[in-house]
Amino acid sequence: MSRDLPLIEAIREALIEEMEQDEKVFLVGQDLRGTIFPHTSGLVDRFGTERVIDTPISESGMYGTAMGAAHAGYRPVVDFMFGGFTYVTYSEVAVSTGQQYFLHGSQTPMPLVITAAVGAGGRLANDHAMAIHGSFLHQPGIKVAMPSTPYDAKGLFKAAIRDNNPVVIPWHMGLMMDKGPVPEADYIVPLGVADVKREGNDVTVLANSLQLKNALAVAEKLKDEISVEVIDPRTFEPFDMPTLLKSLEKTNRLVIVDEDWENGGFASTISARVMEQGFDLLDAPVTRVTFPNIPVPGGYMEPYIMPNPQKIEAAIRSVCA
Amino acid sequence: MSLNKSQMVTLFTNLVRTNEYDLTMYGRMMAGKLLGFYHPGEGGIAPGVGACSFLNKDDFFSPHHRAHGMGHMLSKGIDLKTYLAEHTGKQGGCCAGRSSFHASYPAFNQFMYSGFIGYNFTPATGWGWAAKRAGKQQVVMMCSGDGSYGQDRAHEGMLMASNWRPPIIFWCENNGLAIHARTDDMHPAEHISSLAQGFDIPVEIVDGQDVFACAEAALRAIEHCRNGKGPFFVECKTTRFREHDIGTPDLIEDKPRTEEMINELKQRDPMVIATERVLAEGILTQNEIDRIKDAAANEVADAWAWADAQPKAEPCEEALLAAVYAP
Repeated sequence: MSRDLPLIEAIREALIEEMEQDEKVFLVGQDLRGTIFPHTSGLVDRFGTERVIDTPISESGMYGTAMGAAHAGYRPVVDFMFGGFTYVTYSEVAVSTGQQYFLHGSQTPMPLVITAAVGAGGRLANDHAMAIHGSFLHQPGIKVAMPSTPYDAKGLFKAAIRDNNPVVIPWHMGLMMDKGPVPEADYIVPLGVADVKREGNDVTVLANSLQLKNALAVAEKLKDEISVEVIDPRTFEPFDMPTLLKSLEKTNRLVIVDEDWENGGFASTISARVMEQGFDLLDAPVTRVTFPNIPVPGGYMEPYIMPNPQKIEAAIRSVCA
Repeated sequence: MSLNKSQMVTLFTNLVRTNEYDLTMYGRMMAGKLLGFYHPGEGGIAPGVGACSFLNKDDFFSPHHRAHGMGHMLSKGIDLKTYLAEHTGKQGGCCAGRSSFHASYPAFNQFMYSGFIGYNFTPATGWGWAAKRAGKQQVVMMCSGDGSYGQDRAHEGMLMASNWRPPIIFWCENNGLAIHARTDDMHPAEHISSLAQGFDIPVEIVDGQDVFACAEAALRAIEHCRNGKGPFFVECKTTRFREHDIGTPDLIEDKPRTEEMINELKQRDPMVIATERVLAEGILTQNEIDRIKDAAANEVADAWAWADAQPKAEPCEEALLAAVYAP
């Protein structure tokens, strides 16, 4: 059985089901009980204040609690509210947690989930809109995923909670109320498996989260002219390279859309890997649609930097020319 | 809380062992036979021994970086030969030779030892939370120096401990210097422990040169925490006789510490204070002290021989790549 649920409700279901299944799972964050976003709504009534923990505005303390609890065998989900706030305690998340398992002789797993709302489009400016997936992708020892549909959201969150590593899994505010089918039965979306969201023959567009929606809209618009294959990475680390290379065998062209800065992000990483592993498959240079290196502005200037259907279409046309 | 004879012998023995390890580290570093840094402990080894000699194996603890926490670790019952191997990049190292000297011993509930000073305060909140939830009367011995109280993590950790009342002992080994900076120049109050009062955490200040006084304070704090009375703060007033780390000039602010200054500090040598007391109170005879010292020297020599015999940890890249993520 499957129902249509908003993405945020799919996340809430994942949290509830995993907390019911495993008493080691708990939530820690700020205002989770009163809720800022609806995915934690009512959870304190169901699981109590011991497992739905509100902390002071002390990101390091909040995150450190999760880290220490993970050392002791718990499986915390840390909710930073907005992704930008992970930068307040980036050193803990990225360095202390990500590198802990390896540096300490692969003895102590760190089963932590780090989540937060991200995404430009709300005229909120940098602190409340910055992407985080690229910054964490850079760091060894961390897995990074981001859902684009309610189905993927529930499945990825459940996989992340069951994983024995730190998993950063932000969700895009622009998708919060988007509805889609979500099964009632238990399922996961494994980390490291991309999804071909639309098949095509002329060009591959690799797009995630909100930009996947834009890419699919462009593919539909161009369908009589250019056959666009759209792939959702779903997980940035580990990344499903075989699925991308298989697609390129067919299309020989690649556009990567990523709501993140151009410098050193997911799009750059995958571009380089395609050069190394799939250069002979390419009939045109890999083209990226990303943020230029401009801070995410507030006010009315977000459209200057955000990827959008027009920019995606232009990139598709340029590689197909 | 007065100590019995057996406890005093344990403390004296652990102090001697710590001193023995510390001195060989200095020698090894000077001979170019130690990887990374070494932060010599001489003059400041009593607090760690006092803090950790009567912890249970399942108590959480976080050693202070001075003397690389060896006194803390051996007092908790850890066999340091795997630490020496770790410190020299060997296969038998406690963390497979990957951690430099920032090692962990998960079997002893020691998970963190970071080059980022003060980063142990916030995981300590998590250990305390876990200990409270497990309900097995475990405590968290959170050791650090005075310098780490400049970190926001220290303040956040104390704030949350104050809110949640977990069994955390904030064990401050205040030696008056953070690298070259004077503590009284970096902190506004005479005592670091004044900070804890702002969080309603009870405080005890103790003579950090006297291992027995440190242990008595630790036992009081441990009892407080085991009884579910929430966090506790102990400030040990200690010192160090040597430079911050080997190879760095021994300065106070921008000036070298003088021989007179060091000699003045050495008037309160923790080894001398402990020895005089065990002799004066008839806890140990000079012969017994000599035997303890010989045993410690043998232990350290054996540990080094074991570590030296270990092959270097030099796995292939594939093996390292496979070690980054947990299955």
